[in-house]
Amino acid sequence: MALSNRDRARLSLGIQAAIFAGIVVVLIIIIDWTAVQRSFFNLEPVMAMFPEVITVGLWNTVRYTFFGFLFGLIGGTVLALMRIASFPVYRWFATLYIEFFRGIPAILVFIALGFGASLAFGLNLSTLQTASTALAIVGAAYIAETIRAGLQAVPKGQMEAARALGMPAWRAMLTIQIPQAFRIVLPPLTNEAILLTKDSSLIFVVGMAGSAAELTKMGRDGITMYQAGMTPLVVAGVCYLLITVPLSILARRMEERSPTNSSRRRHKKKATASPVSSGVA
Amino acid sequence: MSEVSGNPGQMITDPAGVVIDGLHKSFGDVEVLKGIDMTVSPGQVVCLIGASGSGKSTLLRCVNRLEDPDAGRITVGQFEATHEDVNLDAMRRQIGMVFQQFNLFPHLSVLENCTITPRRVLKHSKDAAEEEALHHLELVGLKHLADRRPAQLSGGQQQRVAIARALTMQPSLMLFDEPTSALDPETVGEVLSIMRDLARAGMTMLVVTHEMGFAREVADRVVFLDNGLVVEEGPAHQVIGAPTQPRTQDFLRRVLNPLGE
Ligand SMILES: Nc1ncnc2c1ncn2[C@@H]1O[C@H](COP(=O)(O)OP(=O)(O)OP(=O)(O)O)[C@@H](O)[C@H]1O
Ligand SMILES: [Mg+2]
Repeated sequence: MALSNRDRARLSLGIQAAIFAGIVVVLIIIIDWTAVQRSFFNLEPVMAMFPEVITVGLWNTVRYTFFGFLFGLIGGTVLALMRIASFPVYRWFATLYIEFFRGIPAILVFIALGFGASLAFGLNLSTLQTASTALAIVGAAYIAETIRAGLQAVPKGQMEAARALGMPAWRAMLTIQIPQAFRIVLPPLTNEAILLTKDSSLIFVVGMAGSAAELTKMGRDGITMYQAGMTPLVVAGVCYLLITVPLSILARRMEERSPTNSSRRRHKKKATASPVSSGVA
Repeated sequence: MSEVSGNPGQMITDPAGVVIDGLHKSFGDVEVLKGIDMTVSPGQVVCLIGASGSGKSTLLRCVNRLEDPDAGRITVGQFEATHEDVNLDAMRRQIGMVFQQFNLFPHLSVLENCTITPRRVLKHSKDAAEEEALHHLELVGLKHLADRRPAQLSGGQQQRVAIARALTMQPSLMLFDEPTSALDPETVGEVLSIMRDLARAGMTMLVVTHEMGFAREVADRVVFLDNGLVVEEGPAHQVIGAPTQPRTQDFLRRVLNPLGE
């Protein structure tokens, strides 16, 4: 019996779907739903956490991440420019910074800043300052590499055309190269923002007042406060998704609309070639 | 070619001359220019021809210092291009350059491509810059596309915008590096006819091209470059019509008759 290619593909898809459905059914049967519901989806603590989980927790997470991302973006842009600079000391510094902060766990930066800043400089940082600075320091390292790639993705001819028109280098950078690079890196930058949103939870290692609590802290506190299982963490998780999923959708939208996708331009090389017809011996 | 106005525009009042003296340029160990001497008088059109890799683009790019020469002297009008204290940006504002790949700014509209430098660098007002830009877009027959993005234009139209963009800076010298080589054959003519109008208006032009018909008709002089040296130069009818050097003859035979029959 010979199956056509299409039949074989259909059969294979059918088998995959059956296996998947089987796993789901088995999970539904073996899971102790009352126990799960009691400790993960308990309505009582959910009700008790509102509205503070939004007005305090979500708000603080957004604030910490926003400022962390903003300063990380500025720092990352400067690092990216240093990374491609002709002055070698700049390049070495940027490379060192990027390798270092990408190479260590972000939690170490939070600890260093949370406990080290007051020891070393006598600084008394607020939770907002600690969290957003730590996120900016770590974020800048990742963002720098993204922006460097974006800057290098702008064709060399753009900078040359700008310089040939008589623009000073900094002006050409600012009005020609950086705007084009940003368009290229907007989707990956949105992904950095998602990563930073989740990393903002690391501020828990430093500890904070209740009014400064962000989502993870609220979730952890909720566990001890209500003595009703893990439900507060589930609430916190759902709140993170409220931030990250829209960002993710935004990133995908921008990717679909990016100039490299839609209006890919035709660049013909040397149309002067010989008009070869048939009949060349 | 109905789109293109036959209007040569106003006469160029102060075309600049170019003097190149003993120009050397290497990339790493490879010496690309091996001592070029050449002069373009104000208002003259000189076509540079030569095989691929002979150094035509490098020579052109040395004139506005997109490349740094290793040795030799270049002057453009009152600017000494190779002097270490030359104000490069001021000099480049006097020199328009048109590239093979157009190099329009894709994130800006056609009009903004033409106004961004006058506005940001020359500090012209928005109105003055737009008026000037629209005037030049009209000369290249594209005023009606001022609000489009470059990606929405054909290759020939993009190259005409690139020319208008350069002219908006009111240069006294224009450099063209194979301006029609990336174009569909049917749009080559619209770009060449604008260049011819510009030449007739008295612009000094240094043009790298494989368009021998254009060189014959428009060029005051043709310079044949081979392997980093000027091998032959003279009036177009002489260099293209009756070359004396074997290497020029060989090159022209291949360009004019690529199948070698
Ligand atoms: N930035 C660069 N780095 C290294 N080598 C280069 C660079 N630019 C040009 N070259 C080399 O210099 C030589 C001359 O290049 P150039 O672009 O001036 O030639 P051309 O006459 O314009 O050729 P074509 O007709 O292909 O444009 C070539 O061998 C090229 O590979
Ligand atoms: Mg070239």
